[in-house]
Amino acid sequence: MKRKIFYTKPYNIFKQGLAADNPIAIAVLGICSALAVTNKVENAIAMGLGVTFVIIASSLTVSAIRKFIPAKVRMVTYMVIISTYVIVVQMFLEAYFPAIASQLGAYVGLIITNCIVMGRSEAFAIKNPVKYSIVDGLANGLGYTYVLIAVSVVRELLAFGTILNIQVVGDNWVNWVSMAMAPGGFFVLGLFIWLIRELTKNFEVTA
Amino acid sequence: MNKHVQMLVFVLFLGFFTSILLVGMGALTEERIAQNEAALLQSAILDGFDEEYTFGNINDVFNDTVTVYEYEGYTFYRDDASGRVSFRFEGGGVWGPIIGIITLESDLETIAEITILAQEETPGLGGVVAERDYLDTFVGKTMEIDIVKGAVTLNANQVDSITGATRTSDAFEGILNTDYEDHITVWLANQE
Repeated sequence: MKRKIFYTKPYNIFKQGLAADNPIAIAVLGICSALAVTNKVENAIAMGLGVTFVIIASSLTVSAIRKFIPAKVRMVTYMVIISTYVIVVQMFLEAYFPAIASQLGAYVGLIITNCIVMGRSEAFAIKNPVKYSIVDGLANGLGYTYVLIAVSVVRELLAFGTILNIQVVGDNWVNWVSMAMAPGGFFVLGLFIWLIRELTKNFEVTA
Repeated sequence: MNKHVQMLVFVLFLGFFTSILLVGMGALTEERIAQNEAALLQSAILDGFDEEYTFGNINDVFNDTVTVYEYEGYTFYRDDASGRVSFRFEGGGVWGPIIGIITLESDLETIAEITILAQEETPGLGGVVAERDYLDTFVGKTMEIDIVKGAVTLNANQVDSITGATRTSDAFEGILNTDYEDHITVWLANQE
């Protein structure tokens, strides 16, 4: 039984999204938001979950209507569908988690411009059945989320001496202000991408 | 021709589907969002007046203790027991508007409390402007406020700026002072 799971298609799709085709570390997509919101862990978690929902919902919808989408307007169709779900997420956060909604501010709206969401619709959902598209959306969303959380743990610790707003270093700690700013994000994310590629032996081959 | 009709039908279907989703979600959340906004405003004012409340009775406590005055398009909230006065301030930050409530002591100069209702500053940097720890540094200071960088000793009207967010600090100082001047002129003119 255990052996069977490892050879199923959903398992392989899931593994690809998380590791082999990780949207941030391997495909280097969604970098703008990864740099912007990773200076606090709670923001990274909320953003990760929001993006995961939008990828799953938009992949599901695109996959369900893929046979009716005229090829000429498919990009516009993705944008309309993605924008709709992003507004749904924004309304949901404002209604039930107003504190997180105000913390994330404009970044929730910017999920619309996250390349991963449109990338999964174009690369996967438009040519695969609904059940696999959901798995692919979930895997890519979680692949994005865990990289965001890993980067934000390092940045929040160095920039503020806290993790999830809980003080974890002594009073003598001097905050690294640059870690809270975009350059700090570049350094940590760059190191993280290097680490993942080293571990997964994913190297770009030059001709 | 057939292709064009097909595309038109598809666009109509997509518009219908997304509209239904948005209208449905709007209907589900509209009331709650309005309640959240009203409760946020009321809690900011009651915090400034040091009144105790729970989210169950916030409306009743607000109606019992706060008197609302409308003068020349400006709204003021007054706690008759302590004489404290609150009003809403609003102005442009770095990325979007900074909106909040400021409560003044009965001398109409000393800050009793500031609460931010909405802001879109950079999370972790300018976003600190909405954090309670930072806003508490304004308590007891007198208007007009002066937000300064790296001062060793602070005067009665001076507050430390936010590290790494000079533009937000400058904007916040401007918003507080401009709105204070506007509101206090109207309030004093109508109290005579």
